[in-house]
Amino acid sequence: MATTKEVLSLAVEIADVMLRNGGEIYRIEDTVIHILKAYEVENFDVYVLSNGIFASANEDKEDACSMIRHVPLGSVNLSKIAYLNQLTRDLCTHKCTIVEAWEHVKEAKNLPNYSNKIQNFFCGLGSACYTFIFGGGIIDFGFSFLIGLFEQMVLNYLSNHKFSRFLRNVFASAFVSMCSILVLQTGLPVLQDKIIIGAIMPLVPGITFTTSIRDFHNGDYLSGTIHLIDALLTALCIAVGIIIPMAVFNSIGGGALLP
Amino acid sequence: MIILEFIVAMFATISFAILFNAPRKEVVYCGLTGALGWGVYYAMTQQGIHLVLASLVATFCLTILARIFAVVRKSPVTIYLLPGIFPLVPGAGIYYTAYYLFIGNTQMSGFKGLETLEIAGAIVFGIIFGFGIPQGWFHKLSPKQIDLSEEN
Repeated sequence: MATTKEVLSLAVEIADVMLRNGGEIYRIEDTVIHILKAYEVENFDVYVLSNGIFASANEDKEDACSMIRHVPLGSVNLSKIAYLNQLTRDLCTHKCTIVEAWEHVKEAKNLPNYSNKIQNFFCGLGSACYTFIFGGGIIDFGFSFLIGLFEQMVLNYLSNHKFSRFLRNVFASAFVSMCSILVLQTGLPVLQDKIIIGAIMPLVPGITFTTSIRDFHNGDYLSGTIHLIDALLTALCIAVGIIIPMAVFNSIGGGALLP
Repeated sequence: MIILEFIVAMFATISFAILFNAPRKEVVYCGLTGALGWGVYYAMTQQGIHLVLASLVATFCLTILARIFAVVRKSPVTIYLLPGIFPLVPGAGIYYTAYYLFIGNTQMSGFKGLETLEIAGAIVFGIIFGFGIPQGWFHKLSPKQIDLSEEN
């Protein structure tokens, strides 16, 4: 039989990786509870926030154990969540031992992302498709593809140089807005607004917003509020980023450049 | 026309699923979830139904589909829901609110801002209603054994 400490530290480690990669609060608490129950730990408490994990087990016994983790809000990686979900199932049905599970957690942390080239391409394709379904034409589709492609490169560059998430959003949406103004200057019959709307979709806080709703729905009001504020600030950053190049071009061209 | 919209929305969602590193095997299902949401939204707005109501119904439908996929494919519902919801997120609202504010049309800016919030509210209730359906109903779809409450 595994000791309390082994079980708890594994459960919290899995929870940590899930939280880091965008799992929602309820699921993470649930995961820890399931693992502890499966290994017959009776007395435990788990409290998960959007950026912290608190867990304790067997407090009144000799092998008392508690853990606290601080987890910064990070980017989303759905593969890792799916992988750890499967691992939790296997653990709970005792298909895999605790020692093996540690190996799997390590594997999950190092799951390869899609390569940068693939991500650039799909950021472009995604932007272009959104431009199209929001009412853009075929020329807009093309320009949106190019802008989305370079936008992802800009985002990668900024995150490699440790820019904060807010600044990344401001700069990336400013980049989109600037490119769209340049495209407009070519004189082609483009719909500037549709290009911008499509190309800012990769920045739009859809994920934090959805997570926030699900947190509220499960009664995790504090985490829901944190995610909601994150979503609102991101939206604000995008709005600011869009306006900056317009203001600059406007003051250069005396207002003649904008539609 | 609606078929074209459906297909393009599917590619849009698949692209975003890849940006969020969705597992390779699940990417197509993410795409279907997003395409259904957009298809419902598009069809309803074409019929002249207000876009707030259309957003609500579309979100509801795609949440249900995401939950069905979660049970059938034995994966967390998050994987399908997060990329799938993107076509409905009011990115356009953010842009128009900022744009009208910039050109000094505060009236339009306020209108667009309020509309953005209304759509966001509609998505909230779409998701909440979608998750309001008891998990037990979905278990009937599950292949073989009934599992722990992990699909939630």
